Amino acid sequence: MKLTLGSIIRRSLIHRRSRSLSALTAMTVSAGVATALLTLYASLDTKLHKEFRSFGANIVVTAPANTPNLAEQVKKAAGPEALTAPFAYAVATTDRGTPVVVAGVDFPAVRAIDSTWQADAWPTAPNAALVGQKAANFIADERTLALTFAGQKQTFASAGHLRTGGDEDSRIYISQADFAGWTHASPTVVEVQIPGGAPQVEAALGRLRAQLPGLEVEPVRQLVEGESRIVDKTHALMFGAVLLIALTVGVSVLATLSASVLERRRDFALMKALGGTQLQMMALFLLETVLLASAGVATGWLLGSAAAWAISETNFHTATLPRPQVLPLVLLLNLAIAAMAALLPARALSTLEPASLLKGE
Amino acid sequence: MAEVVTTSLNENQTRAECAVIALEHVSREYTGRGASVRALDDATFSIVAGEWVAITGPSGSGKSTLVNMLGCLDRPTAGTLKIDGADLAAMSPTELDRFRADKIGFIFQQFHLIPYLSALENVMLAQYFHSMTDEKEARASLERVGMGHRAQHLPSELSGGEQQRVCIARALINNPPILLADEPTGNLDQANQKIVANLLKDLHQTGHTIVMVTHDPEMAALAQRKIALSHGKVFCHPIGGPVVSLRR
Ligand SMILES: Nc1ncnc2c1ncn2[C@@H]1O[C@H](COP(=O)(O)OP(=O)(O)OP(=O)(O)O)[C@@H](O)[C@H]1O
Ligand SMILES: [Mg+2]
Repeated sequence: MKLTLGSIIRRSLIHRRSRSLSALTAMTVSAGVATALLTLYASLDTKLHKEFRSFGANIVVTAPANTPNLAEQVKKAAGPEALTAPFAYAVATTDRGTPVVVAGVDFPAVRAIDSTWQADAWPTAPNAALVGQKAANFIADERTLALTFAGQKQTFASAGHLRTGGDEDSRIYISQADFAGWTHASPTVVEVQIPGGAPQVEAALGRLRAQLPGLEVEPVRQLVEGESRIVDKTHALMFGAVLLIALTVGVSVLATLSASVLERRRDFALMKALGGTQLQMMALFLLETVLLASAGVATGWLLGSAAAWAISETNFHTATLPRPQVLPLVLLLNLAIAAMAALLPARALSTLEPASLLKGE
Repeated sequence: MAEVVTTSLNENQTRAECAVIALEHVSREYTGRGASVRALDDATFSIVAGEWVAITGPSGSGKSTLVNMLGCLDRPTAGTLKIDGADLAAMSPTELDRFRADKIGFIFQQFHLIPYLSALENVMLAQYFHSMTDEKEARASLERVGMGHRAQHLPSELSGGEQQRVCIARALINNPPILLADEPTGNLDQANQKIVANLLKDLHQTGHTIVMVTHDPEMAALAQRKIALSHGKVFCHPIGGPVVSLRR
């Protein structure tokens, strides 16, 4: 059998189970919360921007009628990351004689950009139409939906109703191919969705305006500005939370460590009397603290990653995978907390008088 | 035998030469809080190798103050204190720590065993902080105090007397020239006091120098010499001479 610094620390930690556990718990909580927040923080931008994207386009390009290859031009200028959806409009008359706006669209593209649109079923077959729920009121027979444009009568089958809560509810949507064959008109509006935040949208705006002179390129202001405000606020909130939690945990770790030294001052005094140097006492105490902090980081990282995953699953409906990159950061944070908390007890250690042993304290 | 040696050295001058502990006009004054207390006042005496000395005196007379200095835990504010020939005043705190581990074996009234280490490990702890651990030696030391069969037990599993024996085994492990015992039987019953007294007798017989603080006249009677303290003043009794009772 050998008696080493390691075995002394191990015995001390095991013997004082409840004290070790409370220190470990404090460390674990701090590491767990830091991990969860940092993990979420790292994917927050992506998550929020993605969330905002579901609100639709952030740029709209409007062109005069009969602009050739409008959709292709915009797509090229917007870049490969951007989503685009061209819209062609015409006013037709229903079987009840009511004028209604008919739009020719690329259904998959619209679905991708306007993910909040709620359709009973998206048309796939030729001559199928998506009928806005208000527009449906102007139609007598939806199964053989007859529309007239410039004297040209065309029959469509309604695939289902569309609900957006906006102007779209009063329109009828058909495929680009059906629209072109019927009205011979080409798209005049392209919705563009740029991934990323306000800076990316600004850059895309500049690009589109430069490459498409004569076209009207406008951002969907409300959305872009609201978005960056919310992202900034969320950042500040998370920073504040991390700071506050670090502080709280720091105080509780401080209390635990102080008590841990105080209740063992007799032991430490004895070791000093037996010839233990200041350095050995410190090593004993600090190593124990580092051990607890590291164990706390290991368990805290696992728990924090799980928490981040659960939070993101319930709030963003996407999984946030554990990030090993936050581990060193969390370790650093925890060691910093432990070091600050250990400072006071370490001072108490250095002023410890072995003479107190003889006084029977 | 120690007595044979010491009785031939009845002059202070000759004693000083073979003294393991020598005090010359040593005082210890505590200052602070607007008052100053002279806990030890101009003490001059020496203790030679192999001697067994009892320090007695009423509460507050300065016993702990004296023992703290003999144990290198504290230093005089005046006078010179030499232990094993070395002047404590010349040492840095680190040197003093080292010196203490080398020269002094402590036997405490409250035993002061580390609660989470076994009897054997408690003895080895003294080896660890002194130089290096040697389990065989540590076991031998426990055997010597009759605790060999309890080596793996924690202090909480031992009686007070048994804990004190482990404490003595620990004090002996590094072969210090001086054993310093502060009320070694203060927390023990009659039966255990006897065991510890016999142990100390045995240690004295084998040549250990023992300095012991005690309130107990029975324990004090075992020592060869008494150093009585009263209000910080030292009264040394001649070796083997009659015991003078102090006015309280
Ligand atoms: N740190 C200190 N500061 C000020 N005065 C002190 C200090 N330590 C001891 N004294 C004083 O020195 C005197 C001697 O104290 P000491 O502890 O040496 O007595 P003692 O003989 O060991 O008593 P007891 O038998 O009760 O343990 C006392 O008057 C005490 O009040
Ligand atoms: Mg005392």
